Amino acid sequence: MTYLIRGKVALLIKVVVVALLASVLLLLAQSAFAQREYVIAAFLAISVVLLALTYLSKISIPLKFFIPGILLLTAFVIGPILYTVAMSGFNYKTGNIISKEEAIVQIKVRGIEAAPSGLSFDIKLGTVDGKPAILVSDINTPEYFLSTLEDRTPLVASSLTLNEYGVAVEAPNFTPLNESEFASADKVYTGARFVFDDRFFIALEGFEAGVVSQQVLKFFPESDQFRNLLTGAIYTDNGRGNYSLADDKGAILEPGWRAPIWFENYSNIVTDPRVREPLIRVFIWTVVFALLTVLTTFALGLLLALALNKPIRGRRIYRSILVLPYAMPSVMSILIWGGMFNTEFGAINALLGTDIAWFSDPNFARLAVILVNLWLGFPYFYLISSGSLQAIPSELMEAAAIDGANPRQIFRKITLPLLLQILSPLLIASFAFNFNNFNLIFLLTGGGPRNELDGEIAGATDILISYTYKIAFGAGTQDLGLASAISLIIFILVASISLYSLKKSKVLESFA
Amino acid sequence: MNKWLKQDLWRHLVGVAICLFALFPLYLVIISSFSSSGSLQLSSFIPKEISFANYNKLFNDPTIPYLIWVKNSLLIAGSVAVMSVVIGSASAFAFSRLRFKGRKLGIQLLLLVQMFPAILAISAVYVIMERVYKFAPEIGLGTQPGLLLVYLGGAMGVNIWLLKGFVDSIPSELDEAAKIDGASEVQTFWLIFVPLAAPVLAVVALLSFIGTFNEFILARLFLVDMESRTVAVGLQQFIGGQYSQNWGPFAAGSILASIPIVIIFLSLQKYIVSGLTAGSVKG
Repeated sequence: MTYLIRGKVALLIKVVVVALLASVLLLLAQSAFAQREYVIAAFLAISVVLLALTYLSKISIPLKFFIPGILLLTAFVIGPILYTVAMSGFNYKTGNIISKEEAIVQIKVRGIEAAPSGLSFDIKLGTVDGKPAILVSDINTPEYFLSTLEDRTPLVASSLTLNEYGVAVEAPNFTPLNESEFASADKVYTGARFVFDDRFFIALEGFEAGVVSQQVLKFFPESDQFRNLLTGAIYTDNGRGNYSLADDKGAILEPGWRAPIWFENYSNIVTDPRVREPLIRVFIWTVVFALLTVLTTFALGLLLALALNKPIRGRRIYRSILVLPYAMPSVMSILIWGGMFNTEFGAINALLGTDIAWFSDPNFARLAVILVNLWLGFPYFYLISSGSLQAIPSELMEAAAIDGANPRQIFRKITLPLLLQILSPLLIASFAFNFNNFNLIFLLTGGGPRNELDGEIAGATDILISYTYKIAFGAGTQDLGLASAISLIIFILVASISLYSLKKSKVLESFA
Repeated sequence: MNKWLKQDLWRHLVGVAICLFALFPLYLVIISSFSSSGSLQLSSFIPKEISFANYNKLFNDPTIPYLIWVKNSLLIAGSVAVMSVVIGSASAFAFSRLRFKGRKLGIQLLLLVQMFPAILAISAVYVIMERVYKFAPEIGLGTQPGLLLVYLGGAMGVNIWLLKGFVDSIPSELDEAAKIDGASEVQTFWLIFVPLAAPVLAVVALLSFIGTFNEFILARLFLVDMESRTVAVGLQQFIGGQYSQNWGPFAAGSILASIPIVIIFLSLQKYIVSGLTAGSVKG
């Protein structure tokens, strides 16, 4: 062991490990750079420099201990947090996911229309001299030609092999695609423009038909505009991630791109009733849910702690049974409870002799959420209350008893206030934890029930964090910008609550 | 007897009642794991039969790679536990024992970062790992190593914080003595501190193991392939929407996956409670 830490062997091991790690990171940095992920590439390159400097020189001893932790924290915690801050300033949602360059390319590809003639042909995909080409058969005329991206070669029917429908399948110089080429044909052929005449081109519709088409939307890079060549309409950058008509801002070209809109996501939260109203409803329920959870779990835990705060027979057995809900993996227990609340087959209805549709009625769903969280959470408060009860000096109670106080008075006037004082930081921490208790809501009710008809995505049991998750990853429109803005607001709320509780518990003073 | 009734009866009544509440779901899930129907039938409270059909299905049905899920969970949670404690304890040691410029700021920053709920950064993590996937498909979105890295990063804040608390409680006389004898900081860490703190490090590693084993939402987002899922994700997807079909095997799978966690938890109860009161909440 000592040899590994001192002397030449240690130095050798250290150099080898650092060199290996650095070369892996360098390789990654290089490929990130090649993919034009400059931020990631820069981070990786800086990591290499830091690693080498720290471990191969004596620049700073504390850094030797911190570097791995700092790098991981930066990459996967601080980085994402900063990214969230950045995203919250963007119009970043379904329809506005890609960059502007990519959006322009896609608008061009989509901006074609079938020619007025309405001509379409049977085609075969293949290559001529290794370049993509299509073998076109107009079976009505009949007429045949080969078309590439550059030119068009007429063919005589006698030189071709036709199938039973009169479609050419083989031609001189033309190599049809084999099966493996077909699998990757999409990239090359879809969106390609094969020559038809000076004005029109053939665009593929599937792999066996081609339609004579024309470009309708044309991009003018100097003025940053799209023009509709048929109607003359001009689409300009509306500053919010779309090209739109000047007089009709609603007429936008799809797709858009992610564009900076600064504080609009935040101001929408306040001004846009479609964002504000569900958010307020969800926020109120989040606070109610977290408060009720803390109250119920603390009350039950405390009751238990009081009941078992005396060496009665079987206390150990009680104790080991009582922590079971806390010891079970919570994902499993929440799913099990979900099954128990099932209307038809569930144990709860069977036990009560009722026929309640627990997860379809808002209030019953809320009750179920609170009840399940009570089950999950009371052992925690039982454990910490019973610990704290022992910390309260018994002289206080004895003195009160001598003064003639009855047990109830002792509890109300002495035990409870002292206990609350000891536990208040933990009660606040529990509030903050449940404020963001995503797993419970997501796995038990999925936030539901919700009103499907009005298209509102917030359900009756959705808390802020599950609602935010739905905004970012839901089934309908995914709005990463808005979700990031809400995320940061939640962070500020929770961080203030937690800092307040830490300050109260004087943790901060210990390293002041 | 009368005195016993008067003084202790209510204690037993409360104890028994709440024990029943605690055991009720566990009892039901055990019964349904031994029922042969396989469907969700939590309405019969007395077992009619004992059948191992569900357990059998779990291990032999090729459409349910349960053992692979368990292996994935153990592997991921195990690696995260070991690596995060090794890396985290170095930082915690430095925070606790070394004096340097910016120490206070570092702790406060760590505290703040630690409060950022992981789920809130999830969309950012998703987008970043999607980009990583473009140039390094082995560690990007959808891969276990990628998930492992994200977990490691996420575990740092909490673990350093938790470990610092433990390190503070270990008396520093020994490493001061080592310092006087001429040991460097790095040597003190490896030769004095690590052996001394080994039990505590093991506890934090196991806590981290439980936490990662329980993690669900990142795993679900990351691991799409049936074969690469963890137990939590596998079992959840498995009953998602169709309670009637797979309930029995789900019950059996949950019980088997929970047993080791419950055992670890019960044996570490003492430390977990002190960790809890130190301000961390089980996630």
